[in-house]
Amino acid sequence: MTTLYKIVTLVRIMLKLEIDNLGKWFGRRRIFEGITLSVARGQSAAITGPNGSGKTTMLRLIMGLSYPTRGTVGFSEDGRKLDFDQYRRKLALVSPYLSLYDSLTALENLRFFAKVGGRVVSDEEMRGALGRVGLGGRGDDFVGAYSTGMKQRLKYAVALLKDPAIWLIDEPSANLDDEGKRIVHELIRDAKDNSILVIATNEKEEYSLAGQFCKLGG
Amino acid sequence: MWWKILIFAAMSAVIIAAFATPSPMNPAISLGDAEVYRIFYFHVPQAWVASFAFVLSMIFSIRYLKTRDMQYDTKAVTAARLGLVFAILATVTGSIFAKMTWGEFWNWSEIREVSVFILLIIYGAYFALRSALPNAESRATLSAVLSILFAVSAIFLIFILPRLYADFSQHPSDSVVDSEGNISMGGMVAAIFFSSLAVFTALFVWIYNLSLRAVKAADKFMPEK
Amino acid sequence: MPGSSVNWAAKVLAVARKDITAEFRTRYAVNSILMFALVTLTVISMALGLITPDSDLMAALFWVILFFAAMSGLAQVFIREEDAGTALILKLSTEGLVIFFGKLIFNLLLLAVLSVIIVPLFIILLKVSPQNWPVFLIGLALGDIGLAGATTIIAAIVAKATVKGALFTVLSFPILLPLLMASIEITKVAFGGGGFGDISAALQLLVAYDVVMVTISVMLFDFVWRQ
Repeated sequence: MTTLYKIVTLVRIMLKLEIDNLGKWFGRRRIFEGITLSVARGQSAAITGPNGSGKTTMLRLIMGLSYPTRGTVGFSEDGRKLDFDQYRRKLALVSPYLSLYDSLTALENLRFFAKVGGRVVSDEEMRGALGRVGLGGRGDDFVGAYSTGMKQRLKYAVALLKDPAIWLIDEPSANLDDEGKRIVHELIRDAKDNSILVIATNEKEEYSLAGQFCKLGG
Repeated sequence: MWWKILIFAAMSAVIIAAFATPSPMNPAISLGDAEVYRIFYFHVPQAWVASFAFVLSMIFSIRYLKTRDMQYDTKAVTAARLGLVFAILATVTGSIFAKMTWGEFWNWSEIREVSVFILLIIYGAYFALRSALPNAESRATLSAVLSILFAVSAIFLIFILPRLYADFSQHPSDSVVDSEGNISMGGMVAAIFFSSLAVFTALFVWIYNLSLRAVKAADKFMPEK
Repeated sequence: MPGSSVNWAAKVLAVARKDITAEFRTRYAVNSILMFALVTLTVISMALGLITPDSDLMAALFWVILFFAAMSGLAQVFIREEDAGTALILKLSTEGLVIFFGKLIFNLLLLAVLSVIIVPLFIILLKVSPQNWPVFLIGLALGDIGLAGATTIIAAIVAKATVKGALFTVLSFPILLPLLMASIEITKVAFGGGGFGDISAALQLLVAYDVVMVTISVMLFDFVWRQ
């Protein structure tokens, strides 16, 4: 039984994020270079650095929304490189510049993103996710009426319903009050053992969430 | 160096021949002064080069999409810029001809003039898009996609325009293209015409290469955003 | 993995339904398109005054109205996503082509609503009516499909640009030219009282255009969407 468990665990660890000598220039402006990092399932990394040092750019490169000027970045599974549509399905992003639909309610947003991603979620699952991020009972409110802190929490709810193998979080505590921060840190701790976690942050208390560090803006 | 001299010499020869030899148009059947038809030696090659430049630009666009190598985007724009110049030249010479023969600068029922004009619009739209995209990568990718879409649409236009203008053609190709669509030009007219075609194409290639070198040099020495 | 899988068609419909719901609540695109068409129609009607132009001119005017109305509203479906910042999560949530077809369906519905409202008003205000309704309706349907089919990818392109409004018209015009010509020809025949025999060539071209433009858009869409 334990051998089976070991094999299953080994197989599940096979998903990996590999960054090799990554460099990004915009024209002549160097953002960063020489970044090498490897994050497997169950591992986590924190990208740190002052404002404007390229943390968000790095995340965009990881997601494949921007192309490297030098080096490589990508996800692989069982040694095979994954293309965008393959890793996109396993990935969830939480970020201040990620927006949800203001003219839909929170529940409508959750249902839409699940459905369009190919998953059917029940009402209980959705309310459960809302409850977990502290938005219980606010499911029928329009997202346009939400505060920025509530919107941030809702983004985590959307991600939770996706049950992703890859969590990318840009500024985990952005716009959150103390209670929100507590919820989010707990959420991250719960998720990281089972997934690849990459956070971009300047909050020192969040550094402890990660196993590796990548400092930008030298 | 000799390339420049050769083109200069050839172009001069073409220009002189265009004016020194008898007009390509038979004065008996020409509308207005047969002399005006000499513009045919310049107008048609210009229109041809403008179209050729568009196709070239589209091919480079496709290569860019396949390889994501910015040099192809540079090549595509350079070809397009030159193509635009020739399209303007072709429209203007066509318009001059129209004024001289039919008394109007523009005539919507003249299918070939409309085609050249559409080419001009296509170039304009292409550059309008490029100027609205500050990010180099977006600019290259999106204008490449647009090029391809325009090319597909142009193919449809090639089929549909003649149908709509079947009754209206006043284009003087009738002197050169007979009722079966066969081109029959007198020996001398053909010689001058095809030489002009070759020279204009060579001119395009030469300026294209110069532009490309200029862009590469600018890239090296001037900071880019 | 929570829940069972949803198939492709359901995803596409989810996108379309989301856009319809949002549109229902905010009404930006449909208002824009309807008002533009009504204003253009009114201007033409007043400008013509007592003149009764021939049916050929009417056919052309009809498509002029449709074209400009389409230009005022069909790009909204993508511009709205970029402006609101929701394009990012959409990109990460589903395949590009699901988005393409979902938005295409939405634009088609928009054009259908427009057509249903404009046709009676056109007939009433300009006092002209198709002699051959089947020909007219087929031309209208295929024309609408082409309008939506060819411009959806252009809308996606324009959404990423800085100038947007005027740019959509400038880029769409060369693309739509074959469609407009073929549609106008079919509508001319419809107003003039001809039959299907007269329009077979234009019809073939229109169908070919619709199929080819959608196919090419499908092939190129991911390049645009992923930018």
